[in-house]
Amino acid sequence: MNLLVQLSDVTKRYDGGGAPAVDNVSLEVGHGESVAVMGPSGSGKSTLLNLIAGLDRPTSGSVHVGGDRVDKLSETRLARYRRGKVGMIFQFFNLLDDMTVADNVLLPAQLAGVPAARARARAAELLAALRIERHRDAYPARLSGGERQRVAIARALVNRPALLLADEPTGALDTATGEEIGELLLDLNSSGQTLVLVTHNPDLAARYASRVIRLVDGQVSTATGAR
Amino acid sequence: MSGHPVLRAARSGVTGRRVQAAVIGLVVGVSTAASALALGLIIDANAPFDHAFAAQQGAHATTTVDGSKATAAQLSATARLPQVAAAAGPFPETIVTAQVTIPGVLGSLHLPPVTLAGRASPGGPVDDIALDRGRWAQRPGEIVVSRDMPGPTLQVGQRITITGTRGTPSLTVVGIGKSITDSADGWVVPGEVAALRAPGASPAEQMLYRFRSAGSPGAVSSDVAAVRAALPPGSLLGSQSYLTVKLQATSSIAPWVPFIVAFALIGLVMSVLIVVNVVSGAVVAGYRRIGVLRSIGFTPGQVVAVYVWQVAVCAVAGCLGGVLLGNLLSVPLLGQTARVFGVGSLAIPVWVDVAVAAGMLALTGIAALLPALRAGRLSAVQAIATGRAPRPDHGYAAHRLLGRARLPRPLTVGLAAPFARPARTLVTLVAILLGATAATFAAGLSTSLDRAELDLSHSGSEPVQVDLGAGLVKAKLGAPRPPGTEEPAAVQQRAVEAALRAQPGTLRYVAEADAQVAVPGIPGGAWVRAFRGDASWTGYAVITGRWYHGPGEADVNTYFLTATGTSVGGTAAITSGGKRVMVRIVGEIFDPENGTASVLTDFRTLAGVLPGLTPRQYDVALRPGVNAGRYASALGPVLGQDLGVSLNGTDPLFVSLLALVSALTVLLMLVAGLGVLNTVVLTTRERAHDLGVFKAVGMTPRQTIAMVVSSVAGIGLVAGLIAIPAGISVHDYVLPAMGHAALTGIPPSLLDVYQPWELALLALSGIVIAAGGALIPAGWAARTRTATALRAE
Ligand SMILES: Nc1ncnc2c1ncn2[C@@H]1O[C@H](COP(=O)(O)OP(=O)(O)OP(=O)(O)O)[C@@H](O)[C@H]1O
Ligand SMILES: [Mg+2]
Repeated sequence: MNLLVQLSDVTKRYDGGGAPAVDNVSLEVGHGESVAVMGPSGSGKSTLLNLIAGLDRPTSGSVHVGGDRVDKLSETRLARYRRGKVGMIFQFFNLLDDMTVADNVLLPAQLAGVPAARARARAAELLAALRIERHRDAYPARLSGGERQRVAIARALVNRPALLLADEPTGALDTATGEEIGELLLDLNSSGQTLVLVTHNPDLAARYASRVIRLVDGQVSTATGAR
Repeated sequence: MSGHPVLRAARSGVTGRRVQAAVIGLVVGVSTAASALALGLIIDANAPFDHAFAAQQGAHATTTVDGSKATAAQLSATARLPQVAAAAGPFPETIVTAQVTIPGVLGSLHLPPVTLAGRASPGGPVDDIALDRGRWAQRPGEIVVSRDMPGPTLQVGQRITITGTRGTPSLTVVGIGKSITDSADGWVVPGEVAALRAPGASPAEQMLYRFRSAGSPGAVSSDVAAVRAALPPGSLLGSQSYLTVKLQATSSIAPWVPFIVAFALIGLVMSVLIVVNVVSGAVVAGYRRIGVLRSIGFTPGQVVAVYVWQVAVCAVAGCLGGVLLGNLLSVPLLGQTARVFGVGSLAIPVWVDVAVAAGMLALTGIAALLPALRAGRLSAVQAIATGRAPRPDHGYAAHRLLGRARLPRPLTVGLAAPFARPARTLVTLVAILLGATAATFAAGLSTSLDRAELDLSHSGSEPVQVDLGAGLVKAKLGAPRPPGTEEPAAVQQRAVEAALRAQPGTLRYVAEADAQVAVPGIPGGAWVRAFRGDASWTGYAVITGRWYHGPGEADVNTYFLTATGTSVGGTAAITSGGKRVMVRIVGEIFDPENGTASVLTDFRTLAGVLPGLTPRQYDVALRPGVNAGRYASALGPVLGQDLGVSLNGTDPLFVSLLALVSALTVLLMLVAGLGVLNTVVLTTRERAHDLGVFKAVGMTPRQTIAMVVSSVAGIGLVAGLIAIPAGISVHDYVLPAMGHAALTGIPPSLLDVYQPWELALLALSGIVIAAGGALIPAGWAARTRTATALRAE
């Protein structure tokens, strides 16, 4: 299997002591895989995702994504890594309220210095694919939760990242809308997008992930293959 | 008490927002320092003479009595007159001529006639002399000279040779002092005076009086009349009122007052603005926390108390530090100002310290109380909502418009930021504007002062003079001339001109004669400088009109025109010894001369009224690149012992004024920068979550810094652009006001000081202040962990 993500003995301990949030975790994710991370609240799921996304650094261990040793990158290289190789979506969307939908989606491309015309074409393509093009000039505050998450997905994909990370993407949505987003992610995965998904929803995990990783107190408890 | 919930909440508020607390403390501190300094300057500039006069028990009248007509007993008896509150004397007094040799540099210099008094000690009930350096004269051969003695600045240890008396005795300078009413130019032990008198001169005695009532010129002259009546007729030779001295002293101070006031006002307004901005901003930023406090059961009063207490802790610390800083800065600055003002010493009066600290605290209190009261009235839910409410819509449009601009995205995001919070933007704009205006004004003012200094000292145009004074003094003393010889002055002048022509480095020279003449309409008459030859190069700046072209034409200073009510193009009558000549006024020149009228004209103009006029000095211009000091020391030995060579140097007072201007400018720009820092800290804290989002989608540290800095750079640019006309207006208003106070017009060269490149640089000063204040918090924003920022809120 062609590996995209490889974590070796990764431990994350937050300042202030106590038990580590992520405790000696090793895991691998192959290209095109869809992996669900599950576990009780506080078990370290978000922390693990943040470490893969390069939003935080592990206390020990190594994080490899593509050809990059993520835990050793400088802040500037980390930013380039985040904008180029990973896309991330969150439970509470994390859209910028004072920018339109289109501007939110364009932002990572603009930060990466993608030529304006190409960036706009890519954004239009994504907005159309996600069926939110009629909201392109609206502000996020006026959209429904499902629509907002679609905007977030479009933003995450605008630079064609190798890896899509989702932290409870359906956590703030009702069941029907959650299903829609789930379907979307499944579609993406079947067209080749590698996906790591944190969720509380066993149903979602069972249906959309090829593999489930279970975290308890920061440690991997069991890894079940196949859906 | 330490367990009280209000105090505990306040304490955790202060530690939780350490940067905010530090900014409040720092801003209040620097503002307090600047205000104390500014107010201290205004106060001291207004009444430095009165302060020094009171401190030194100055004499209301300094009188000279003929010692051969009035006895010591008669003089002492005047101290018991009902009008007299205190008296000192009799002190023997004499007027001497003297010369000094300044080793290594120049030939021997002739001093103008100076008054010496014999006093056993500097103190006493009247005219307590302030000793700047050294000690009092203790034995014959020692002299204490006045700081303001005419002629070159003397140092302790130098020797003065007294001419015009038997044996040409020599005195060693042992101290430098200052009598507030200039009762004498130097002091020796009483026994020495007789030996210094010219042979045959009658003994003069000095009596110093403080009167019970001396508020007006009339009161002083009736007091002096009482003294005169108590002495034998004709024995009171002369008297000088302290009011005359005061007038002179204050007219030299007056020009600086408008500039000091202008600076002080800018400083005060800025301090108030920034303190209000910082303090109310801190409270507004705390709304969400207020909501939380309310929801856990704090009463509105307790919430207000928490916030006011929080600010008060920082403000008190800042105030105390600021008062300390202000007083520390005042030591060098006001010390130098005291020299400018020619009085003993100045300091920030204690009441100014107290008033500024109290005012600053009250201001901080009000700035904190108003938003805190509003916060106290908000319900818990409202407060939490206000704290996280989406920003107003006008920010959105700006974002959209700027998003289309062909600029890197971080810049356009930053540039749109000011529109989200118009009120905060406006206050920040005004703070930067004032800082940049101060910088523009200060830049222009220092150029103007520089040029005024050059114009007044003539150090650029004619750096060297050859002093013919000795010849005049000898003539005055009636030195016998063998019959049939040529007049010595003419011989001397021919020798000097030959020496000047022979000396390498001489560019040109002109002989100058000075005389006091009477002019109708001018009470004290006018001072004429007559040049033998072309003198248009001597460095007098023309305000209006032109330089005179020949005999019969004259240039006059502004005071002359004002006093006579004439203008350029008119005529004036110059009278001396009963003869009169009419001159045509062709130009107004910049020559403040401490409020006396002055006339510049050709030597031949005065041939009819002053037939015996002899040049007093030669003004010498040097070839480019010639060092004036080296030229003078080469010329000195050639000219010999009897002639002095002196230099027009830069007045150290101007140097200290420039230091004052720079210090105040730096303080004001610092306060402006702190105001920006505060705005940026507030905004980045409010937008911490958004910053996290930006970084999560790939904003690099450098892009983050660019975004944060550009969020105030736009404000800075606008402020800088407005500051240019504002600063120039202040300059163009203050300079004529300074001139008006000094009874002079201002030549265009002093007003027209801003070079285009300088203006371009100054326009950037707003951006410099903005970027300077934003860089530190921008760095913080770039360094915060993204995961932490995303968890914020
Ligand atoms: N920035 C932080 N500072 C300190 N402790 C943290 C921080 N972030 C997370 N933690 C702690 O680390 C542990 C794991 O947190 P994490 O957010 O990764 O859990 P989670 O599995 O995502 O939980 P949830 O399902 O509730 O989102 C928790 O005990 C949490 O309190
Ligand atoms: Mg989580």
